Amino acid sequence: MSVFNEFDFNYLNIDYFSFNFPFILIFYFALKAYQRFDYLLVFLAGLFNDTVVGLPLGISSLSYILICIFATYLRNITISPNLIKDWFYFLFIISLINSINFSVLFLFFSYELDITLFIVNNFFTFLFYIIFSIFFKRYLKSLDD
Amino acid sequence: MAESRDDFIIAIRSAFLKKSTKQKFSLLTLVFFSIFIIVLSNFKFKAIIVTKSVIKEIVYRSSFIVSIPENFIKSSYLNLNEYSNFYKEFKKIEEELDQLKSENISTKIIKSENEELKSLIDGYSFTSDKILAKVIVDHESPFLRSIIINKGSKEKIKIGTNIYDRSYLVGRVIEVNFTNSRVLLLTDLNSNIPVSITPGNVQAIVVGNGDRKGEIKYIKNDLVKEINDKGIAYTSGTGSIFKSGIPVGTVDLKNENKKIFINFYSDFTQLKYVFAEIDEPIVAPVITEENDQSKSSSNTEQIKLDLISDELQILEESNTKFLMENKELNTLRNELTKQIEILKAENEFQKNVIQQHDLNQEELEFLRLNLIYSAKCQSKKLFSTGFKVGTPEYKECIMRKGKKSD
Repeated sequence: MSVFNEFDFNYLNIDYFSFNFPFILIFYFALKAYQRFDYLLVFLAGLFNDTVVGLPLGISSLSYILICIFATYLRNITISPNLIKDWFYFLFIISLINSINFSVLFLFFSYELDITLFIVNNFFTFLFYIIFSIFFKRYLKSLDD
Repeated sequence: MAESRDDFIIAIRSAFLKKSTKQKFSLLTLVFFSIFIIVLSNFKFKAIIVTKSVIKEIVYRSSFIVSIPENFIKSSYLNLNEYSNFYKEFKKIEEELDQLKSENISTKIIKSENEELKSLIDGYSFTSDKILAKVIVDHESPFLRSIIINKGSKEKIKIGTNIYDRSYLVGRVIEVNFTNSRVLLLTDLNSNIPVSITPGNVQAIVVGNGDRKGEIKYIKNDLVKEINDKGIAYTSGTGSIFKSGIPVGTVDLKNENKKIFINFYSDFTQLKYVFAEIDEPIVAPVITEENDQSKSSSNTEQIKLDLISDELQILEESNTKFLMENKELNTLRNELTKQIEILKAENEFQKNVIQQHDLNQEELEFLRLNLIYSAKCQSKKLFSTGFKVGTPEYKECIMRKGKKSD
């Protein structure tokens, strides 16, 4: 999963285009198929991602675990699931987590970062969630069958 | 009201603390664990650094293996493209090679002079050794521009080691592990390169723009006008981060927002192999001045000797060529001399023939006149006034048509 980071999908070399596939994957599975995976593995995947991408160790792990927490909270309070509600809740979560990431990197680790990239990444991750959720739904259905 | 608040707390508690059958740790534990790691890595705690290093070794190797199919597809596509442009490139390279060959000797001389001057200025010189390194991971974040190479502290790579693509600068090492290292590319936002821009020798700092170009910053306003489009930027060596005189890129003034960009010579998305320059400073020993001078100039002298031997070789080759030509010319000359001699002999023969012909003509004329004037010139027994037949006087008389004297 760590190898499936954001940049790999941008073969067209479109300026600023990137999206965070692990965010979509973790959020969906923590929300819909939490019994299929271990949070410890998510945590380790975060460590691996940090190493591959070159970020300080623990940043991605924290982001992924926060996504799991928010997804679990949503799952606990939801009686009748709705894709659109999940979608906008996802936007709120990724915006929050990207803000935390940006702040930590900028304030504690003195990284020079382009905020436009974060915003565009956030937007595309939000946009692609709906497409991937349809795909994952079919995938899980095929597994159950 | 109290009920909804209770529900909220239960949901939160459940999210943080509840573990399903598959979970070994609660999410709250993992959050604390993440924060703990971040804090420790911020303080550069030794255990974290070691853990990080171990993970890196595992991840870089496995990531390289995982990327093999993808890299294979990429390289196949690039190979196909390369083959289609092969002939054009070959012709172009051939021309460039001819030009470079001619420039090579003058470059060597300049280099040796430069080394000599540097050794005079610094009192020490660097022996640089470039080692080839393979790019094992180039999966980047959209926010950071870096690559992983398969050379580390085992091959004497240090933090700050300059990395090249052919002779162009691509970045410097920022993390070193035992068998691999991370290279911060020039395009990264955190990359600052002190450069000189020609023509004009303008000093500036090039900062990566996070995309594919560099942006010129920290330059005096009045010097901006001196920068030309397509001007060449090379490292100035200020700050001793990068060595001086390494080509970086060309100036690009054609953009809408009036910023000055640098188009890097290398395409950082296509890096497969790079060179890492390992510098080992050789401090000149201060024993005696003579020794010092002789040692500092020994390298230069060696280079000069090499150059002279090269020139000697060229001269010998040309000399052999001239000797061959000379031999050929000598053979030609001998052949020509022979021909001339033959022609001379022929000429002589012709002359003799002509002379004989003239004599024959004269004889014929004498015989003709003799028939007419012999009576006048012959001597008579009485009152002899003529000449005896056969004498030269008689012949002259005949030729004068009977007149005995002038």
